Formats: sequence, C-alpha cells, structure tokens
Amino acid sequence: MTSVTELLAELLLMPFIAFVVGLAMVLMYRKIAARLQRRIGPPLLQPIYDIVKLYGKETQISHGLIHDIGLVMAVGGYVAAEIFLPVPGMDGIADKGGIITLSYVLMVPSLGLALGVGQCANPNGSIGISRALTAMLAYDIPFIIVVFGVATHYQSTSLVGMIEYQQIHQWGIFEMPLLAVAGLFALQGMMGKQPFEIYVAPAEIATGPMVEMSGKYMGGLFVMQTFQLYTAGVLYTSLFLGGGANWFEFLVKIFIVVAIPMSVALVFPRYRTEDMVRIMWKWPVMVALIGIAFVL
Amino acid sequence: MSKIGNIPVNAQNGKKRTNPLAGVFDELVQFCQSRSMFMLHYCTGCGAIELPPAMTSRFDMERLGIQPMVTPRQADILLITGYVSVKTLKRVILTYEQMQSPKYVIGICSCTVNGGMYWQSYATAKVLNEYLPVDVYIAGCMPRPEAVIEGLRRLMGNIENGKGIAWKDYFQRYDHYLGNQQHLFGNDWQTPTDIIGEARHYGLETEQTCGEHSRILEQHQQPLEPYKMRIKL
Repeated sequence: MTSVTELLAELLLMPFIAFVVGLAMVLMYRKIAARLQRRIGPPLLQPIYDIVKLYGKETQISHGLIHDIGLVMAVGGYVAAEIFLPVPGMDGIADKGGIITLSYVLMVPSLGLALGVGQCANPNGSIGISRALTAMLAYDIPFIIVVFGVATHYQSTSLVGMIEYQQIHQWGIFEMPLLAVAGLFALQGMMGKQPFEIYVAPAEIATGPMVEMSGKYMGGLFVMQTFQLYTAGVLYTSLFLGGGANWFEFLVKIFIVVAIPMSVALVFPRYRTEDMVRIMWKWPVMVALIGIAFVL
Repeated sequence: MSKIGNIPVNAQNGKKRTNPLAGVFDELVQFCQSRSMFMLHYCTGCGAIELPPAMTSRFDMERLGIQPMVTPRQADILLITGYVSVKTLKRVILTYEQMQSPKYVIGICSCTVNGGMYWQSYATAKVLNEYLPVDVYIAGCMPRPEAVIEGLRRLMGNIENGKGIAWKDYFQRYDHYLGNQQHLFGNDWQTPTDIIGEARHYGLETEQTCGEHSRILEQHQQPLEPYKMRIKL
C-alpha cells in the first residue's frame, strides 16, 4: 500500500520539479542571451510573471476543439515524459518504460502542436508546423541511432539500469565519446535552438506554430518550453553523464548540459530547412554510426 | 467570431465574486501584467529609430520585462511610433482589434498626439486618441530612449494600480470610435473582428457600444469569407 502512495506522490512530484527546474532554465537562457549582448537581462521571477500574465488574459481566442486538444497534447506529452525520466531518489515508472517508450512519448508534443496549429488556419502557422515536423524528422534519425548505440553498449533499454552502471563504472561520455558528440548535436535540434530554429523564425513567418496562440494557449506553450528544456537536459545526463547521485550533482549536470546548446545558439544564425535535414543526416549520423561501430 | 460562445466568460463586471481570495489573485495578476509586457511595435514613422537602443544593450528594456513580439495575438502593447496616415490607420486598427485584452496602446512622437509636423497633411490621421484608446502618449520629436522607457514605466505603474483599463473603453464606447473611423474611411468600413459581439460576450457592453454608427456598419456589413486557395503553376 505504501508503495502505491509513494508511486503516486512521485508521479505528481516529478512533473512539478521538472516545471520549477525548467523555469530556472528559461531564466538561464534569457540571462545568457542578455550577458552575451551586454545587457542586464530579465529579473529573477520573469518566467513566472510571463506565465501568470498569459493565463490572466481576459479575452481568449479559441479556434476550435482541436486547437484546445492539441495544446493539451503538447503539454501532456512532456508531463508524461517526465515520469519516465529518473531523478535522484525518484524513479517514477522509469524502470517499466525504458528509453524506447520515452523516445515515442517525446514525439507526442510535436504532433499535438501540429494538430492544434492546423485548426488555426493561419498560413504562417502551417508553414511553421510543416518545418517543425521536417526538423523533427531531421534530428530524430541521429537521436534514434544514438539511443540504439547506447542501449547496445549497456545491453539494456532501462534508464535506471544505465545510470546504475555508469555510477559503478564510469560515465558514458568516456566509454562512447563519439555517440556523446552526436547526441549533443541532436540535442541542439531537439531543443529547437539556433542554427536549427527555422520553424519559429520570428521575423519571417511570425514565430510559425505560435502565430495564432494567445493568452492561455501561449501560456501553455511557455509551460511546454520549460518541460522541453528540462527533458533535454535530464535525458542527456542520464545517457552520458551518469545521472546524479544526489540532487546537487544532478542539477549542476543538467544545467551545464542545457547551457551548452544555449550558448552555441546565441552566436549562430539559422539554417534553412533543407540545409538542416542535410547537415543532420550527414554529420551526426556519420559520427553516431562510427560510434556504434566502436561499441559493437 | 460567432463561435466565440464556446469560451468561458471571465465574469468580472457587476457580478459578485464568491472566492474570498479573488482580490489577492487580481492583485497578483495585475502585478504580473505590469512586469511582463510583450510589445508589438508598429513602426510607422521616424520614432521607430529610437526603439533599437531602448531594446538593446544601452537601455535594455528586458530589465523591465518588456520584450518584442511579432504577432498581435501574443502582444500586450501596441507601439505606434510616428505619424499615422489614413491608409496605415486601417492596418493599425485591424492589428489592435486582433490583440487580446488587456491590451495597451502607446503613442510615441508628437505626430500621434496632434499630427505634429503633418498637421496640414490631408492624408494623415491627426489625433490617434480618436480612433483607438491610447494609454500613454510619449511626446517629443523624437523622444529619446530615456523618455520611451519613462513612458513604459508610467504604463507599468498604471497597470499595477489598476488604471490601465483604456482597452475597456474601446468596447464600452465603440460607437464613438467607430464614428471617427467611418468619418475617415467611409461608411463601408468594416473589420474582421466583431467588436460588438465580443463586448456582449465579455459583459462590457454599455449603451454607448451600439449607436447610429454601428447601425451604419450593420447596413454595409458583408459576411466574411475565407480566402480562396489559388495555386499558380
């Protein structure tokens, strides 16, 4: 009985922690951007102000039922992903799902967003979402190859097992450096940061998928962004950096992992969609395949 | 816009609120609204050149939680930076009506206050206030970035004290604004947004929402049709 209540508490607590840590990551991104541009940047609670303000809008435009459901799928997909990601002291249902389930669940938000944006009937949104799905196709190929290689190396698809193995032996990044490099490359695309952020392109297609989102819908996307950053950081840390023995070590690792793509993003312009597919299917795929050859 | 009935009404006007913490929540939301403003800059005139320094490293608007946004749906502030010609004003009104309330308009430069150096022009709308409810004017030709920031801070103060409610005026006295718009654009002027329907839906309708001008609008109103998809080969 205690194990059931414990599990339920973990299922509630893990997305909540993800949200709070994700807020801090959003703040970190904006602070890094500000420092690189020699600005001061937003105050400490700015991500919370933004979300409360967006949910507090007094008029809301809904474009229909699918618009609402799409947003719920986008946020819900990430909430579901959080309970498959083990954190120190809490495994959730990570030992039952494994990384194959996780990589399926991680596709749900993009598909939900595509559904929701489709009903907005805004041409900018349609262009944006078609680019976003193409981008997903681009970064998922190296990502799946990396996942396959890592699972082959550990002879397991369980994230919990991988973390235990790394904490006993050594970190995955030392055992399979090529896969780690390819994974970092795919992470850049997964987080949707420059040079792979053609699908938001504020100046050209008016932030693409988000163009018709207002009020609470935009608030939902802001919440989704916090989960997205957290998921990317935790996933990479679990695969290559040995998870975390305690919370301090864990938080330091995931913030460093997320800070790398952010810092890279701010000094790059963006690639066009077809260039992104070309570069993603060429370099990280090649590196990851060589990495697999070493692992096998 | 007829489908707007699906959206739950945010009942604030006149109805008694039962939640004892409603006042606290209102203050929290107002505080957050004043600390987080997304800005759509409709750069019509020369005042636009003062915005890049106000946004970038010298004066850094993001300290105040103000950042640029690119679509009217996401924006809170509409910045009109300079003279507004009659043709531009149509676009400004279309943009304003697509923004989600609470929304604020800031008129930068003398041209938005009284026409400025375009006072004698036949093609320029002189007083922006007659066509849109303006929250803050920042006078000057052109105002320096310090003045722009000062104006934005004043708007922040107004919102925090609950005074940033000019957007309600557009719903409550729509007939007045519509009359001025029809005076410029002619009697067949209409926008895709159904302001009267929104005012009814959100409980903001007063006796001045509809009047003689909205009756003219009803006479000339044509139903909106989606654009035809055409592919040129």
